[in-house]
Amino acid sequence: MSDIPHTTFLDEVAALPACGKINECIQCGVCSGSCSTATHWEYPPRKVIAMVRAGMKDELLKSNSIWFCVSCYLCTARCPRDIKPANIVHGLESIAIKEGYKPPTTTTTMYRSFAQSIVDHGRVYEFGFMLKYFLRTNPFAALKMLPMAIQLFRHGRMPLAPKQVKGKEELTTIINKMGEGGDR
Amino acid sequence: MEPRIGVYVCHCGSNIAATVDVEKVAEYARTLPAVVVSRDYKFMCSDPGQDLIKKDIRELGVNRVVVASCSPLMHEPTFRRAVQEAGLNPYYFQMANVREHCSWVTESRKEATEKARALVSAAVRRVYFHQPLESKEVPVHPDTLVVGGGIAGIQAALEIANSGHKVCLVEREPSIGGHMMQLDKTFPTLDCSACILTPKMSMVGAHPSIELLTYSEIDTVSGYVGNFRVKIRKKARYVDVDRCNGCGTCITKCPVKVDSEFDEKLSKRKAIYVPFAQAVPNVTTIDREHCTYFLKGKCRACEKFCERNAINFEQEDELIEIQVGNVILTTGYRLFDPSAIKEYGYGRLDNVLTSLEFERMVNSAGPTSGHILLKNGKEPESIAIIHCVGSRDVKYHEYCSRVCCMYGMKFAHLLLEHVQGAKVYEFYIDIRSPGKGYEEFYNRVQREGAVFFRGRPGEVTDVALTPEEKGKLIVQFEDTLVGKQRRLPVDMVVLCSGIEPQSDSQEMAHKFNISIGKEKFFTEKHPKLDPVATMTDGVFIAGCCQGPRDIPDTVAQASAAAARVLALINKGKVEIEADTAVVDEDRCSGCRVCNLLCPYNAITYIEKDKVSRINEALCKGCGTCVAGCPSGAITHRHFTNEQIDAELQGILA
Ligand SMILES: Cc1cc2nc3c(=O)[nH]c(=O)nc-3n(C[C@H](O)[C@H](O)[C@H](O)COP(=O)(O)OP(=O)(O)OC[C@H]3O[C@@H](n4cnc5c(N)ncnc54)[C@H](O)[C@@H]3O)c2cc1C
Ligand code: SF4
Ligand code: SF4
Ligand code: SF4
Ligand code: SF4
Ligand code: SF4
Repeated sequence: MSDIPHTTFLDEVAALPACGKINECIQCGVCSGSCSTATHWEYPPRKVIAMVRAGMKDELLKSNSIWFCVSCYLCTARCPRDIKPANIVHGLESIAIKEGYKPPTTTTTMYRSFAQSIVDHGRVYEFGFMLKYFLRTNPFAALKMLPMAIQLFRHGRMPLAPKQVKGKEELTTIINKMGEGGDR
Repeated sequence: MEPRIGVYVCHCGSNIAATVDVEKVAEYARTLPAVVVSRDYKFMCSDPGQDLIKKDIRELGVNRVVVASCSPLMHEPTFRRAVQEAGLNPYYFQMANVREHCSWVTESRKEATEKARALVSAAVRRVYFHQPLESKEVPVHPDTLVVGGGIAGIQAALEIANSGHKVCLVEREPSIGGHMMQLDKTFPTLDCSACILTPKMSMVGAHPSIELLTYSEIDTVSGYVGNFRVKIRKKARYVDVDRCNGCGTCITKCPVKVDSEFDEKLSKRKAIYVPFAQAVPNVTTIDREHCTYFLKGKCRACEKFCERNAINFEQEDELIEIQVGNVILTTGYRLFDPSAIKEYGYGRLDNVLTSLEFERMVNSAGPTSGHILLKNGKEPESIAIIHCVGSRDVKYHEYCSRVCCMYGMKFAHLLLEHVQGAKVYEFYIDIRSPGKGYEEFYNRVQREGAVFFRGRPGEVTDVALTPEEKGKLIVQFEDTLVGKQRRLPVDMVVLCSGIEPQSDSQEMAHKFNISIGKEKFFTEKHPKLDPVATMTDGVFIAGCCQGPRDIPDTVAQASAAAARVLALINKGKVEIEADTAVVDEDRCSGCRVCNLLCPYNAITYIEKDKVSRINEALCKGCGTCVAGCPSGAITHRHFTNEQIDAELQGILA
């Protein structure tokens, strides 16, 4: 191999927010040993980091790894080198989306519906956001959630009409400002 | 005597000459006031280089010398000696650092040459005002204090005492022995730890040249190399050590049971106790905090049954003062407490042990007579040993503790030997086995059947996900060589806790005026070339108080520290640097500001003369008092205002 692909991919990832320590990972496996979902990942979090360093971008972003992170942050709390693997995994998701890799899960749709709800109401409007998510992905799956929805509704935890936050205009300005930096 | 200055610019091979135009600098020096000769030379520190200086002093009447070369830390003593050998006072010398401060840190040849010129100009103008200073000699007291009676302290004390010199060994526990006494076997040769340690312990106890003060602590320290005065607090043990013969009658009669520190709380001792059978000295101690008599005012059963009338409830702490010439600190380490790492369950889950608990359990003189047992009294079938607990982790200790890979593998060996058919798993990140016979030991343990998984576990839990995990401890980890998260149910988990500094290391460092590093281990004078000395002359360090290490390294260091002390004792005297501060007593107002400022406690207020005076033997010449004195009464002999002014003018010229 004449070119050294890993330097560019590694630099790209290291430049993501709070991912700068990736080169200090000692491959101990604490993150993968802690990860709540790692058994579903083609490559567990530790290996994701090794693959970034090895420049295996296409192979990594094509895999189902990274999309399964549920942000439990166990990896990040326990990592002995303060690498913050969860940040790296989410950073990789955004690279993958930008570069048109197709996620194997509905995670991105979930993120978008979630974010849209905040843009619209300044807060998460559970009913609307879940409705949107299921309509966009698998409407039948929503039926399975019905009993829980009813419970939440009964306890006043899921109002049917959205509530706006105070100072919505200021929030919109902040969000728009953020949006200038890239897509949501 | 009119100053006649000689300037010598060193090439340092190409270290300086490659960046600094040394010839130009030498040429420039010739134009400076009072310079009579200026030369450049390949290696000034070499014998021919030094001879150049000596020759000029003799033949050209040079009486002030400037060498522009490396850091004074390296060669100031060399050149001062050369100057002195040619008949001049060694303080008629000044060094300009044109390597570390110039050639190594400057890229442009022009700029480097310019800076070198400025530095030489400063040195020349300064040396013009140098005064001859006389260094003093003080006698070295031949006795030595050793603090801490682990293997390091035992070794150092014996080395010195065997040469016929007196040693006072202070240990804060009731017996000497330290951590090594708690170990079962020692890697990699598997000698029984107590068998190789106890002969040395009894030698210490019986040695005519060793005064052993156990159950004692350092109270205060004053003085300086060759002449330390140390106050030691002998804590009341409520037993007359001259009468007690360690028969143990009192122990059998004492009604109070307390967790044994020596057995890591896995067994009980009494309120009156000897920590372990081979204790030195073999006398009892009453633990005041738990004794019924001290708590409730009655009992005294021990006293009643002691046939030698050794119990003495009236005893009090005793402060004694000793005088010594040198000190060796061997205060050792403390084991990292793994309960801080919640996910490993220590203190919450049964059958999760620390390494020292395991050492006691596997020891035939230990709480289970050497049987490895679960809480329910059964033998474990499978055991996980987790490496790097509290080490190599920025949340706890960033450093590697150096011994835990090896003792972790030692545990595997002992388990395979003690427990029929045991399955033993080592969870490691990297195996660190750099030592004589260490890699071979790793190989041996593999051959014996221990299973190695590369991956530090994420957690240890008792929450079962499958029927076969029920009632077990489950180690959840990534087998990093396969790249899969796995769960392994086992019966017992041993945590290879790291080595950390004693909790009072900062206080001890303060008492002896030495520094501690970021991790709070004592700092050596030079990490490579002076690993047992400290920045304070006459105070040496050995063993784990300086950083994690195994027994062979500890013993080697202890012997090295003893050798350093013996050299000083043999010489009988030490030279005290002459570049100290001095109080102009006519100008001193007696305000005592300097007394508090001096970091070395070198200044005392003389009541009868109403002035402060500096003890030259203690003064390190730091200059703090000079800057702090509101009356401007203090001068540093080798940093006078005149000299500093001239130096600044030289830089700016
Ligand atoms: C579980 C475990 C297993 C190990 N197994 C091995 C092995 O098999 N082989 C091997 O080579 N190494 C082994 N080691 C390392 C070994 O324990 C150390 O190298 C050795 O004990 C260091 O000796 P030391 O004298 O420096 O410290 P210590 O043994 O800690 O002794 C220090 C002494 O100083 C005393 N002290 C402390 N502070 C004061 C004070 N302020 N005033 C007075 N006295 C004080 C203490 O009470 C103690 O007696 C093991 C370590 C552990 C944790
Ligand atoms: S826990 Fe941290 S150091 Fe260990 S493999 Fe994961 S990212 Fe690397
Ligand atoms: S934050 Fe994501 S990667 Fe980290 S442990 Fe949780 S699920 Fe796994
Ligand atoms: S007086 Fe104290 S030490 Fe003595 S036997 Fe009673 S409880 Fe034990
Ligand atoms: S010696 Fe081994 S177990 Fe101990 S900290 Fe170092 S690598 Fe980890
Ligand atoms: S120069 Fe420093 S060490 Fe000397 S007396 Fe003054 S403050 Fe103390």
